[in-house]
Amino acid sequence: MSASQSAVRSRAEAVKVSRTFDWLILFTLFFVVLGGYHIHYMLTGGDWDFWTDWKDRRLWVTVAPIVSITFPAAVQACLWWRYRLPFGAVVCILGLLLGEWINRYMNFWGWTYFPVNFCFPSNLMPGAIVLDVVLMLTNSMTITAVIGGMAYGLLFYPGNWPIMAPLHVPVEYNGMMMTLADLQGYHYVRTGTPEYIRMVEKGTLRTFGKDVAPVSAFFSAFVSILIYFLWHFFGKWFAGTGFVQSS
Amino acid sequence: MKLIKDKVAKLSFVALLVTVTAAMFYAPTASAHGEKSQAAFMRMRTIHWFDLNWSKDTVAVNDTMTISGKFHVFAGWPETVDKPEISFLNIGIPGPVFIRQGSWIGGQLVPRSVTLELGETYEFKVLLKARRPGDWHVHTMMNVKGGGPIIGPGKWVTVTGTMGSFTNPVTTLLGDTINLETYNLSNTYFWHAFWYGLGLVWVGYWARKPIFVPRHIAMEAGKADSLITAGDRKVALGFAVGTIAIVAFGMSSTNAAYPVTTPLQAGLLRGMKPIELPARTVNVKVEDATYRVPGRAMQMTLTITNNGDSAVRLGEFNTAGVRFLDPKVHTDETGYPDDLLAEEGLSVSDNSPIAPGTSRTVQVTASDAAWEVYRLADLIYDPDSRFAGLLFFFDEAGNRQMVMVDAPLIPTFI
Ligand SMILES: [Cu+2]
Repeated sequence: MSASQSAVRSRAEAVKVSRTFDWLILFTLFFVVLGGYHIHYMLTGGDWDFWTDWKDRRLWVTVAPIVSITFPAAVQACLWWRYRLPFGAVVCILGLLLGEWINRYMNFWGWTYFPVNFCFPSNLMPGAIVLDVVLMLTNSMTITAVIGGMAYGLLFYPGNWPIMAPLHVPVEYNGMMMTLADLQGYHYVRTGTPEYIRMVEKGTLRTFGKDVAPVSAFFSAFVSILIYFLWHFFGKWFAGTGFVQSS
Repeated sequence: MKLIKDKVAKLSFVALLVTVTAAMFYAPTASAHGEKSQAAFMRMRTIHWFDLNWSKDTVAVNDTMTISGKFHVFAGWPETVDKPEISFLNIGIPGPVFIRQGSWIGGQLVPRSVTLELGETYEFKVLLKARRPGDWHVHTMMNVKGGGPIIGPGKWVTVTGTMGSFTNPVTTLLGDTINLETYNLSNTYFWHAFWYGLGLVWVGYWARKPIFVPRHIAMEAGKADSLITAGDRKVALGFAVGTIAIVAFGMSSTNAAYPVTTPLQAGLLRGMKPIELPARTVNVKVEDATYRVPGRAMQMTLTITNNGDSAVRLGEFNTAGVRFLDPKVHTDETGYPDDLLAEEGLSVSDNSPIAPGTSRTVQVTASDAAWEVYRLADLIYDPDSRFAGLLFFFDEAGNRQMVMVDAPLIPTFI
């Protein structure tokens, strides 16, 4: 058939083909994002996401949103500006969390026997939903970066607290106090992850006393805004058709 | 059309491969037996493990065993390795096949990193509770920041039973006893499933109608604004408000359910108490040392001076966990791992007791296949070709005295 002829003969057929197309693209997008985002997140968020005894109120709160707002920003840029589809961030997080859960369940638990209650991934969904909604309602990259990026950073800690709080209950252990999460890290031996590489409770936010989590979250939210801009541009550039030869 | 379909199918397959690769990309390593591949000088000139005792060879799931002994922090610590200022007493096992119920240095619990002093000797103990059945090589291990893991001798321990019966009861400061093996698990699954479900509903809402093709056409036609309806906006607003409300509700109900929480605990433990060793009365000078490659034997010429008041004999040379014994003086009764024990590996040209106040120069040969098997002979390829080890002398009453040696080593190939 030549390029000038239509590939379909009726409207019904066109709708059917279009639907097939939807699923193929969505499926591909989902898994491509899953693969790329998963590797990115493991290399940048890594241990902070792997172990409960790394999920502290300073660094985890700061690092996780900053390194995870990347792909959502880029995929949003593609799906919104080309299709007005407002689920770029959520689709990314769905892919990432599926990949993380497969990894934690099959490798960490199934292969190496770390209990799942010690190595589950962080929850990134609340921020992603708000990020998508803000872009949709405002149709503005700048407002999405500022309001959405801010929300993404701020919602992270409270969004995870219902899962983490039970692990922050203190225990007395042979004359020392620790949290249950610390105890998990001590009990479930990680030969390759000695205690000293754990980066928790470090930093200079000492003047805020015990209320350091909100301060860390705000800091993270500000950096998330900047990272959002950067990756939104990446996404726009990547979704361009400049590289495709026009016919 | 078919061409495009094929292309998309092909791309999907590539995507699937990428996914699988990503999932496989990281698994916490389940390595044992790193001991042999570690540079020989790392094992000979850093931490010397001795007097090791594995309390059991076979242990049932939920039962405990201990690994105890001493380690000497070598004073001639190599330049190429960071000093053990931040170190962690670990245990070399393939993943959490045991849980570490306790670990002590000099009687102090060490769940965190510690500072060790060069030249000191410390007593340690690790209490393990069996979790997963199998035969496991259980190594002593010290992680040193900037130096990596320093792995000590390993012994095979068999765990019997089933992992399903393993429990890990812990009593919190609030008085509740929980099973840390499964604690908080259903709560974790619940929240993750809930948010994942909400995310799926959001994407499902948009994907219920054809998406890419008609939307692309509309965009090209300049009708972008028609793609988001007033209804869509209401739904989206509902999602955002709902999300924030659920997060707020989750936060407050969690705080009500867990009013007492503490931050993660971290920080360096200093002031580990070393063992007080009795004053040293035996002096050893290494005149020369050679390693004969074909004979798998190390030969040292030692001048031994006994300044004590009882005659002494050399009974053992210990380096990198390999023990060379002179059976006429000293035999092992602790069940030390066979592959690391050369029961007749030490021969001394004249090992008659050295009387108090006298001095003697002797030829000492430490020979065993362990030099090869444990790749200690590789130290001749190290950047700083020196050897080090512990010599144990025994007096007439059976008292033991430990002397460190540290000297250059010259290989001979004929
Ligand atoms: Cu081993």
